[in-house]
Amino acid sequence: MKNSFDEKILEEANDWIKTNQKVVLATVIQTWGSSPRQVGSRMIVNEKGDFSGSVSGGCVESAVVRECIGIIKDNKPFKKIEFKVSNESAWEVGLACGGEIAVYLEQIN
Amino acid sequence: MKLEILKEIIKKKEKKTEFAIITNLSSGESEIFEEDKPLSKNFEKYIDQIKNFYKSKKNGVVDNTDIFVETYIRPIKVIIVGAVHIAQYLVDFAKSLNFEILIIDPRGYFASEQRFPNIKIINKWPNEAFKEIETNTNTALIALTHDPKIDDPALQHALKKNFYYIGALGSKKTHENRCQRLRDAGFSDDKIKSIHGPIGIKLGGKSAPEIALSIVSQLVSETYKK
Repeated sequence: MKNSFDEKILEEANDWIKTNQKVVLATVIQTWGSSPRQVGSRMIVNEKGDFSGSVSGGCVESAVVRECIGIIKDNKPFKKIEFKVSNESAWEVGLACGGEIAVYLEQIN
Repeated sequence: MKLEILKEIIKKKEKKTEFAIITNLSSGESEIFEEDKPLSKNFEKYIDQIKNFYKSKKNGVVDNTDIFVETYIRPIKVIIVGAVHIAQYLVDFAKSLNFEILIIDPRGYFASEQRFPNIKIINKWPNEAFKEIETNTNTALIALTHDPKIDDPALQHALKKNFYYIGALGSKKTHENRCQRLRDAGFSDDKIKSIHGPIGIKLGGKSAPEIALSIVSQLVSETYKK
């Protein structure tokens, strides 16, 4: 059996919006190999870079925050990003665990 | 995601209904899926695949599509008998773990709103209280009063309804006596063995929050075993 063990991040997103913050929702949509957080894990980021929740064990959050600020600035509705362990990756951050994850960013509006 | 969808999701979570959020990753559109409701044109053609995903209660991208499905299932109901000190810490843990908590205690001075703000408390004897609660094999019972008058009827109810987790506080001696009473009441040894008593995993701690932690650890572990 599975409990929902839900992390109330959507409720928090709603609270942020009520205080006129712009909010981007980042969701782990796919994982390959050993990844720290399961599919469906979420974090929220505002235009200042404040964030709550997580999409990894702290490995890629800083890059996700930068990307989220980016889509708010460019007024893009959504974006998909992938993180790999490879050094050739465009990201200076990677997953130390050797896994790969895909994260979907979407503005709430 | 549109703000109105976010608000709708929050409302559905509060009502403890089961649903899924479906997102088209290439268009950014999202929608709420419910088993008995039709989907909009944008998602209609994926309905069978979405339903299969939903039934397996998993999150993920549907094969060969750009459709992401995230399922929300009803939280597990945990009934605590005894609005005692340990229960106050259990309530705190349960909040972060998203268990739905209900407290039964006929003793009004224990089960007060002031001690348990925003928690559903049924101020009745277990036999009466269970008439108001829907229970099934996805329900858990934590009996904390170690008073046979209060715990025993609740344990009997939980055993009859095959709760997936039943735990009872008390020393080994208390638990032996309890088992004997249940045997006398006609319960089989196998059934009685399914009760976790003394309750909790061995952490070594004796304080109320430590005991609450040991109980909640056992509860989570048993939830994943099922």
